This record gives sequence, structure tokens and C-alpha cells, in this order.
Amino acid sequence: MALPLPPGLTPPEIAFLCEMELVTVIPRQRLEGLELLGGRIKPLNPPHRTNIPLWLALLLKRQRRANILPPAWLNAHSLNAILDHEIEHEDTFSPPPRLPPQPSNNTLPTSPPFLANNTADAAPDALPYHWLELGEMLLEAASDDFEEPDNVRKLLRDLREVRMAKLRKSADVLDAGGGFQMNGVGGMEVGESRSFVTGVIDGLRKIAASREQQRKDREREELENGYSGTAGDYDDDEMDMQ
Amino acid sequence: MDIDDLLAEVAVDSVPRELRDLQELTRCWVAERVAPEILPWPSELMDRVLDRIRRQIELVEDQTGDMNPKTNFKLIIIQTELERFKFLVRSFLRARLNKIDQHPLHIQSLHDASLDMLQPLLSHSEYQYLTSHQSLLAAHYSTSFLGQFPASLQRLDDITGGISMIDKPDEDKAVFVRVLRDIGDIAVEGTDRRFNMKRGDVWVVRWSAVKKWAIGTGTGDLELI
Repeated sequence: MALPLPPGLTPPEIAFLCEMELVTVIPRQRLEGLELLGGRIKPLNPPHRTNIPLWLALLLKRQRRANILPPAWLNAHSLNAILDHEIEHEDTFSPPPRLPPQPSNNTLPTSPPFLANNTADAAPDALPYHWLELGEMLLEAASDDFEEPDNVRKLLRDLREVRMAKLRKSADVLDAGGGFQMNGVGGMEVGESRSFVTGVIDGLRKIAASREQQRKDREREELENGYSGTAGDYDDDEMDMQ
Repeated sequence: MDIDDLLAEVAVDSVPRELRDLQELTRCWVAERVAPEILPWPSELMDRVLDRIRRQIELVEDQTGDMNPKTNFKLIIIQTELERFKFLVRSFLRARLNKIDQHPLHIQSLHDASLDMLQPLLSHSEYQYLTSHQSLLAAHYSTSFLGQFPASLQRLDDITGGISMIDKPDEDKAVFVRVLRDIGDIAVEGTDRRFNMKRGDVWVVRWSAVKKWAIGTGTGDLELI
């Protein structure tokens, strides 16, 4: 019964998460409103656009009951601009979509896949968290709803390669302390690089464990004694170790 | 506070309970799959979700007799969604069972310590599983080989001699987190690492360094991804 998988999400699980993203559809048939477990689905009245979760949109699309409007960022023009940005800035990913205004303090902020970053009227100039999975799924199931599907597919692949190169390059700056910033990273990219990145950080930490323990003990001692005169000695130690 | 904030506040508070529960459950599932240690059991959330699933199953059973193609398609949608929910719940529980199997004695002591707190670590059935599984294992070990050892070597939770027999998860493992509210400066104990966590950031950090801000174990200012 216990799940025999190591920590971290598998690609199908990430795709499952991505299927909760909201997308815009143009229904071709009427459908009454539905009370689902995850909330109410509004009635579908052709030809009014409606935002529904991706899993439902794919189901309707497969049965030819609706057309999917690709998200605002998923077209050749926007992707070209984003790709240029990715190539220009060698060390960082292109910035993620602008955050919605901060909610009041007593409610939990929403985050992907529950932000409307993939609807037809979302921001056209930023890759959302599930960009790769969503792009692939839409191109596979609804390529006839795109204007230039082959061009979009090519651009997605280019983007993926540029970004993978950045991920691989980041291995140089990993160290035992962790604390490594990855703004703009995508869901599938996290899944792909998780075992490598965390493996390197954890491995380095284990190598430096005894030194770190010494330092922790010393810092605690200093805190108790209320002075910090040994900082200089510590630097010398570090030189010897290297 | 400008008009955008006001609108956002209204919008967030008007999110229906069902959708918020789905968001919370999804977060719990991801966190449980990613975190190195077991997280407190979200009892109220699970009660609500399981109750809703039970009612939805009853609805499906009621309506399957109806052969009208229109209601039939509605039923397909409802069932598809039901299966998605069931997958979430099942995967969440199985991830927890896996952790219970790996570190039973450690989790048992943590659970006992958490009983006075607002949120116990394990659900009732999980605790039952843990104790009965442990007693079966202990009985099996003692009949198959432990019984032939000297009495002083028979314990499974010996902590004398400076080395504990009780396995613990590695709490310093690196995790991916997304910051939901501004946190400020964070220092990683034992290293020179200092950094500033702002809303919307994604960081790879030690679990032990950010645990007190995580959803489930802390203030809820960041989530695991």
C-alpha cells in the first residue's frame, strides 16, 4: 500500500497538477452547470467563452464538444519575444507572470495551478509555471486550434533547450548551504532537476558535515557566553581544509 | 490600500469552499510527496473532502440507471472528476504510509508528543496502522531470532551508547519551495548562507532552515513544490 516512490513528483504527477490549470474554451454544445467536488462549473453556452480546468477542456475537445483557445503566451509572437529574452539573459530564467495582488492576511495565497495564467486573456509576455506540460498537452490534443502549431512546437523546443542549458550550468554554483534561487523555473523543470540539484547539495553537505557541526557548536557556545572573538580562527581553519 | 487590493480581497474571500479545499488538498499532497518528514494530518480538510467524495459516489450510484444521453455525459464528467479526487487522496495517504513504514518508532514518539497540540501528527487510522504493524513486526522478530539473543540485546529502540537505534529522516535535505508571503532574511545554521526571501521567489533550501514557515508545519508563508 505504501507508495514505493522516492520523494519528488514524477512527470505524470506533474502533468496531473497541470490539468488543474484553467484554460479558455469556446463550447460548441450547450452543457448545464455542474456541481463538482472542486466547485461549480458554469453552464456552457455556445459561443460564449468560458474558463474551465484543463482536464475538462481536454475531455470536451476529444468529444468535439468545444474548441480550446490557446493561452495568450502560447503563440509564435509571444514565444519569440520570450525566447529572445532567455537568450539575452544568460544566467536567469525569463521572469514568471506578474503576481496577483496580495490577498488579505487570513486567507492563504493561491499559487499555480490555480492562478489564471493560461486563459486567453492572461499575460502574454511570461511563461507560467506549467508552461512546458501545458504547451505539449494542448499541441497534442488541440493542434487544430492553433494558428501555426508547427512553429509553436519548434519555439517550445528551442525554449526548452535554452532553459535546460541554464539549469545544467547552475550546477557550478551549488554548495552545501543550499539557498539557491530559481525564479521563473517551470514545474516539469523542477521535476527533472530535483534529484540532481538536491543530490549535489545533500552530498556536499555530508562531506562538510563535521566542519559544520563544529561551527554550530561554536556559535551556540558564543551565544551562551555572549561574545564573538573567534571568527578569525574560523577563517584559518577553513583555509587549511581547502 | 488601493482599489486593486480591495477587489482582490473580495475575490479571494468569495472563492467557494470547495475550490479552496481542492487547493489545500493539492498543496498537502505535493508537500507530503516532497517533504523529507511526515507532516501533521490535516484532519478538518480531510473530513470535508472525504464526506464530499462519499456524497458524490452516492449521486453517481443514484443516476447510473438513467440512460438519457444528456445526463449520461454529465455523469461521465462527474465520474472523471471523482477519480481525480480519489487519486489525490489515495496518493496522499500512500505517501504518508510510506514515511510511517520507514521511520515507525521516530514517528510514534513525535505523534505522542504532538497529542497535546492543536493538530496531532497522525490520523486515528494511521496511528492504529503504525502500532499494529509495529507489534506484528516485533513479535515476528522475537520469535524468529531476537528471542535467542541475550536479554540486553533484544530491544529495537536502544539509545544507550551514544548511538540511537531509531532511524530518523534527514531533516537537512534540500527542498524546492515557493514563497507565498514576504519572509525576509533567512540564515542557514552552520554556514555563511544568508538570503532574502520575497513573495513569488522559488528557492532550493534545506528543509530544516525553512520548516517554520512552511504550510502544515509553520506559518504557511511558503509552500513546497
